[in-house]
Amino acid sequence: MSRPVVLTRWAVCLPGLPPGTTFEGWAPDDVPPPERAGELLGRKGLLAKEPATRLALCAVHRAFGLPERAPRRTASDLSPDTAVVISSNLGNIATVARLSTSVREEGVRAASPLDAPNASGNVIASTVAIWFRFGGPNLTVCSGHPSGLDAVGLGHMLLLSGRARRVVVVGVEPRDATADALLTDATGEPGVAVAACVVLEPEGVGAPLHEVAPVSNTERPHVVADRGDDGRSELDTGSDGRGYGAEGVLQVAVAAAVVTDDPGVRSVTAVCGSRTEGFRSALVGSPRVTLGAA
Amino acid sequence: MVRIRASAALTCLGDGAATFAALLDGRSGVGSLPHIDAGSVNVTCGYSIDGDAPEPGYGAGGLLSVVVASALADAGLDPDTDRVPVVVGTGLRESRAIERWAAGERPVELERLHFGAAVAGVGGALGPVVTLSNACSASGHALALAHDMVELGFANHVVAAGADVMAVSMLAMIGRVAPEPTRQVRPFDTRRTGVLLGEGAAAVVVAAGPAGDGEAELLATGLSCDASHETIPDEAGMVRAMEDAYARAGVRSADVDLVVAHGTGTEQNDPAEARALRRVFTAPGRPVLTAVKGAVGHTSGAAALVNVDVALRAMREGRVPPVVGLRTPIPETAEFRLAGGEPGHTPVRLAQVNAFGFGGLNAVTLMAAPGAAR
Repeated sequence: MSRPVVLTRWAVCLPGLPPGTTFEGWAPDDVPPPERAGELLGRKGLLAKEPATRLALCAVHRAFGLPERAPRRTASDLSPDTAVVISSNLGNIATVARLSTSVREEGVRAASPLDAPNASGNVIASTVAIWFRFGGPNLTVCSGHPSGLDAVGLGHMLLLSGRARRVVVVGVEPRDATADALLTDATGEPGVAVAACVVLEPEGVGAPLHEVAPVSNTERPHVVADRGDDGRSELDTGSDGRGYGAEGVLQVAVAAAVVTDDPGVRSVTAVCGSRTEGFRSALVGSPRVTLGAA
Repeated sequence: MVRIRASAALTCLGDGAATFAALLDGRSGVGSLPHIDAGSVNVTCGYSIDGDAPEPGYGAGGLLSVVVASALADAGLDPDTDRVPVVVGTGLRESRAIERWAAGERPVELERLHFGAAVAGVGGALGPVVTLSNACSASGHALALAHDMVELGFANHVVAAGADVMAVSMLAMIGRVAPEPTRQVRPFDTRRTGVLLGEGAAAVVVAAGPAGDGEAELLATGLSCDASHETIPDEAGMVRAMEDAYARAGVRSADVDLVVAHGTGTEQNDPAEARALRRVFTAPGRPVLTAVKGAVGHTSGAAALVNVDVALRAMREGRVPPVVGLRTPIPETAEFRLAGGEPGHTPVRLAQVNAFGFGGLNAVTLMAAPGAAR
């Protein structure tokens, strides 16, 4: 088993929930819906940015505790050692569908050059990198249901391999008609608008994240808190398990919040995936441990 | 140490061996645009693999299956019994399937938009399968992660792969900004007119241990993100990826004999890439420079590993294919020997492969030739 890394920051954005919603041991961050993301991020630079990109930016903004409309980082502030790993299956799918339909009906003039970055599935990761000036490795994972924990696992690996000193992992899915249609057809129910961010570092104070690994002895995604002699209990991530590509990151963010908030929780196990695409598991330990460099 | 046990590629010119032979002959595989109405996207040409056949439902997954199966077979691995993780890099995933679904042409299965199902079709023991949507350097990123997985002891063998076909949404972006449709990709040429897409896939089997007979050593893949502009490349980011690769590999730029460039034939990429190379290669005796997109088009997420396959064959055969489409090189390449004309004997001990993508995603790979002592 490889050595653990530390979850040093996290944020959860579930803009579809009523403001002030709380769950046992944690609460979502206060964020505006994607169309009003400028209220948190400042308006400049949001033109033609898709809802998933806006949600991801809000999650990173909250994870780093930045003030509302904080000034954008400048060219001299590049963090070459900070990596970005995004998990999103449906981030730009609505744009791909819309672009192809309008081009077929009206020709190439119907395609706005402003949409050019959105035609590529990595637009969320590159936008997060540009917005916050994160110049390390930049990955977008879209592996279906297990994607979120795949992203967390790859973030872990980027630290172990020395490719980054800090990894910003974001799981994000939009809620739109295209996403709803695809998810309802495949799973029987629509998804949720969600963005969750966790920041991984090799050492420091925070909740230790142990190895992410495939698991087979499970039937469904779940997040379980281990309270020692007081038993185990399932945690509510607020998504009803419908976070799709964001779910694994959401689980880890909630796990980090709960183990930090509740001294009775020894660890939290997160499992995401599906029967056909496989499951992944992550273990988040007690934050009352300071890990040194291995 | 990490080695490449097998490599497979598929382009408009055929499999890896056929592609390399055509490259040595200076042939271009450009043809008419397959499956998609050229008038609607203002792109008339493309580099298609089987453009006259009916369009498959999931084109990229189909190509991927072929190269993954081929690379595993060449490595002597059984996909039904050997548990091998697979990292797939792609630029557009199965975007075309979404487009056809949106047009009401055919249904789409959510799980087929990424590549777990396509890989599972090759063999039941393969996995886990991670799909990376990392633009035009996607398979270079997949190779970097496969290298890390082997080096960290997570697996003895890992497949890194890449696959892409064409999609209206991306073609429209190319056609939207082209004054007139491009007919031929011309990397590093003063009269280049832009990029064309190519269908393609490639896969390598990466393994732990010293390189065996005929195997290349995978020295390193350096990664960086420009973090500067969504579509305009930044040479500083490219330089960081190259320097990361040299540092990880423990080599100097002066050790590099061959660069298989990204070379997209676009207004922006080629001068930026050449300037980045000039900043890195400062010693006399600069490497030979070649690029393949004039012959096979821009295979998007597969491009990095298509280039790797070409570099492996160049190292093995001691011949470097010419840059198809190049007549008058841009001045930024003046200090480099651009491969051209009849390929003579060119020993290559250390090869560099560049891959740069939308969003400033950079992956630079270094490989040592079979038998090359370092």
